[in-house]
Amino acid sequence: MLDKIYYVIMVPMVYAAVSVFVIGVISRSIRIVLAPRQKTTLQVFPVKRPAWFHALIDTFLLPTVRTIRPVMWIFAMVFHGALVLLVIGHLELIGDLRALQAIPHQVFLGGGLVGLALTVSLLFFLVSRFKTPYREISVPEDYFLLLLLLLTVLSGSHMDWAKYLSSAGFDIPVSGYREYLSSLFTLHPGVPAVIAESPHYVLVALHIFFANLFLLVFPFSKIMHTFFAIPLNLVRRGGIRGANTAP
Amino acid sequence: MEQTLHHELLTRFDSKLNSIMRLYLDTCARCGVCIQSCHVYASMPELKYTAVHRAEVIRKLFKRYFKAQGKFWPSLGESADLTDDMVDTIYQTAFSCTGCRRCMVHCPFGIDTQMIMSIAKDLLISAGREPKVLSMLADMSIAKGKSTTETRANFAQAVDRLRDEVLARWRQAHGEKAVPLEAEDANILYVALAGKHSIVPAAAIMNAAGEKWSLSYYEAVNFGAFVGNAEKTRIIAQRIIDEAVRLRVKEVSICECGTAYRVMRHMMGTLPFKVTSFIEVIARYLREARIKLAKGRIAGRVTYHDPCQLGRNGGVIEDPRFILSYLTDDFVELQPNRAENWCCGGGGGLVAIGEKDFRMRSARVKAEQIKAASPDIVCTACENCHTQLSDLVGHYKINAGVRFLTDMVAESLQE
Repeated sequence: MLDKIYYVIMVPMVYAAVSVFVIGVISRSIRIVLAPRQKTTLQVFPVKRPAWFHALIDTFLLPTVRTIRPVMWIFAMVFHGALVLLVIGHLELIGDLRALQAIPHQVFLGGGLVGLALTVSLLFFLVSRFKTPYREISVPEDYFLLLLLLLTVLSGSHMDWAKYLSSAGFDIPVSGYREYLSSLFTLHPGVPAVIAESPHYVLVALHIFFANLFLLVFPFSKIMHTFFAIPLNLVRRGGIRGANTAP
Repeated sequence: MEQTLHHELLTRFDSKLNSIMRLYLDTCARCGVCIQSCHVYASMPELKYTAVHRAEVIRKLFKRYFKAQGKFWPSLGESADLTDDMVDTIYQTAFSCTGCRRCMVHCPFGIDTQMIMSIAKDLLISAGREPKVLSMLADMSIAKGKSTTETRANFAQAVDRLRDEVLARWRQAHGEKAVPLEAEDANILYVALAGKHSIVPAAAIMNAAGEKWSLSYYEAVNFGAFVGNAEKTRIIAQRIIDEAVRLRVKEVSICECGTAYRVMRHMMGTLPFKVTSFIEVIARYLREARIKLAKGRIAGRVTYHDPCQLGRNGGVIEDPRFILSYLTDDFVELQPNRAENWCCGGGGGLVAIGEKDFRMRSARVKAEQIKAASPDIVCTACENCHTQLSDLVGHYKINAGVRFLTDMVAESLQE
């Protein structure tokens, strides 16, 4: 029975989650693109050119956050940087993406440090939300998403950390995950025996379950800022031009 | 709430959901970086005075009626129903925000609270709950644009009576008009406020520069923008545009009124003439050596307050400082300044509504900022700011005068 539940999580639910994620992100983006256009500029001054360059700096370096909440800025930078590494580290497991495999898998995981960085950052964000005035501006979605990410990261990182922390180690090799993700990617889904027969299968299934949940809520949540941050910063910098935008 | 009104309000809400508004409402991470940005919160630290809270009031309605999350899992984002109580909250939210957009400078996504508050103000108008004085003033401006024939002669007479005061600032050649009206093909159509303080100094400066100019029949102030009525904003601005086109002027220059400048410069689309703030015109005259100023006539330490709609929202930031460098060697910057400057606390129609008690309490941080600079003169370039700052220095017993930059320039004109 458990094996069936694990299989549902590991295969059909992954396809469902990825489908909802892709369709949700695309449909929400299309809805925004098809909405009536803002006719006038909403930029703030002084003008800084090129606008796209400053919009990218605003998006990726968060200069105002650094000035106003410097401690949060450190964790925000660590969190987002580690997240990028982890996303690449997971894509690298798909056999067809050979270019990414030029770099060893462990580089993206940083010997467990990337997961640790994410965990610490998420704990900081979570604890911050219990402090006034951030508690008062938070809504359940904020806690829910942080907890969901934390559970995803902890269950995933455990697979990495266990190799270093336990003499028994973690008996699923990287090749097992590569075989699993490649099977999903090539639409010949299956859970390889090296995962299915491992005593740690439950942890893998839990990790995939939390990741699935995250993908399912992503398009309906504030995490859409992943895609909206750059256009919004372009608007502020005058890079998305309305009429009478300053030259 | 009555069903028809409920439906009408949601229809109005929907009509405001253009692409960028959707991005603003979809994106906030509630990181709290904007909390300290608002001068109201910095002066009276209550959650309801934060930018994030203001936006959330509207965002919770957006989630409830326009997003799947609000329909299937409303408690997740604390989606809110549109009720009579909610309309009360919307009023407090919209008219405690001056629309200064300082929070937008700080937000990592650049979310424009003023833009989100335009939904709030639109809902209040539809519910008949907007400050009636602002709607009345907007309607008066529109009415003036419809029937000008009876009042034009009176206006011309009133302007004519300003002749001696203009000549006292700058002596002209005999026969030249001190304040020209209806001058076709003029280089500049100057749009003033109702009041000679907005006409006399500017007239003296343009006459000193030998400018070919004309005074607009209409006042610059746009109460449609203050009340948040996009259609009235457009109609009020359109009166001036039509006049400028009829007179075939090359440039429309807006007096010291931040909102009027921003509406005409940045919100009216592509126009067949150039739009400037009169501050930019003065700076141009100085660069082209068309006017000379006697440095030192303005006694005492001077500081400059960047009006929000002229500075961070309008782009006129360095020209006032350039002009002041011709007027005084004793200039001190407010800290912070330019795009980071604290709002005076009088924008968004608050000065016109009155609300003096709230305006004074909510601008404590502004008063402290001025005190720290220890100026003798607080100079600014916006009527709203001037009124608010004058009230503030009185209320907080700050030993400083408040002056318009244009008036200081006119006082310093020399042959």
